[in-house]
Amino acid sequence: MAIVLKITPTRFQASGSKLDSQRRYIRKVSSGEDLRFVNGQNMDVSGGGLRYVKPDGTNLDDGVYDGSFSGSAGTRVKV
Amino acid sequence: MSGFTASNSRIRVIETISSVDETVFDTDNDMPHIVGTTYLTNVAVDFDDLDQTQNYAGEECVPTYTLESVLVYVPAVWFNFSTFTPSEWTQTYDYYFNSFSREYVSGFTTYHRDTTPGFMEYQFQYVYNECGAYTPYYEYSVDAEEYSSVTNIANLPTDEDGTALDIDFVIVQATGTRSTGGKDPRFNQALPTTVPTKTFSFQGSVLLESSGEASGDSWFRRIMSVYTSGSKLKLKVQESVKSINRGAYNSGFPHIDESRSTYSFNLKVFFGKFRQ
Repeated sequence: MAIVLKITPTRFQASGSKLDSQRRYIRKVSSGEDLRFVNGQNMDVSGGGLRYVKPDGTNLDDGVYDGSFSGSAGTRVKV
Repeated sequence: MSGFTASNSRIRVIETISSVDETVFDTDNDMPHIVGTTYLTNVAVDFDDLDQTQNYAGEECVPTYTLESVLVYVPAVWFNFSTFTPSEWTQTYDYYFNSFSREYVSGFTTYHRDTTPGFMEYQFQYVYNECGAYTPYYEYSVDAEEYSSVTNIANLPTDEDGTALDIDFVIVQATGTRSTGGKDPRFNQALPTTVPTKTFSFQGSVLLESSGEASGDSWFRRIMSVYTSGSKLKLKVQESVKSINRGAYNSGFPHIDESRSTYSFNLKVFFGKFRQ
């Protein structure tokens, strides 16, 4: 039978273990992130070259790109 | 220490690991979650053939010659030669005295000089004409191009009132095939593509094709991006081409008319939010 709610000194489970303290749930943070969720366009092309906007919002150009696209930094999340 | 707290507006789970409290779950945190999923099949991406231009590079003389007959004097030729007259013995018999006598005449060389007389004759020869005819020569270049196309491919998920949700992120799971493999206009080979043959996922943009010059510098890029704007999910297709020269005169890019590429994608789009 699925666990509705189970609390022990070392573990918390609820809703059939959909919520489980032994899992790592991703959450948005303002700093100390483990990774970023990118949203929106993060590449652009111009002059035969490519700009890649890294998840932290900085640009990585191929040396040929001559455009002015600016992407945005991804949302910080922590595991 | 590990614990669970629940209040009217907050549920919080703490896991203590090595004496450090780690938040496992906290409804006060913004946690990513999927609020809608859309399946899109046979999403077409089409890049046209590239174009090339014939550029005047200069003109060159085309030499012409005329065959003419010319009366020329072939001069006299003097030449020397010699003849040798061999030595000779002459023997005489005298009947009266019944005796023989011999006489010797030594050989000698005679030197001569003679001539072949000069004469006039007609000779044929090609005579170079001052360049009177010039022909232009051309160099071909791929046309520089910046192409961009944006289409709406889906509506965003809506709330109970039919208002589009404010989506925080989109995750796209895709399978794609390149139905037409465009060729590099310089070579008889398909443009390199970076689209995996199996399912792949991305957020934002994907590089589809690229090509470089001999120096390694990029001159050609094709990308696509999937993102939200307003109440729509958008597909943006971009191509950027830097002009390159053929590097030979009077010879165009042999595969310029085979550079069109087409793709067909099946997209599973997850719409996500951090907070309801």
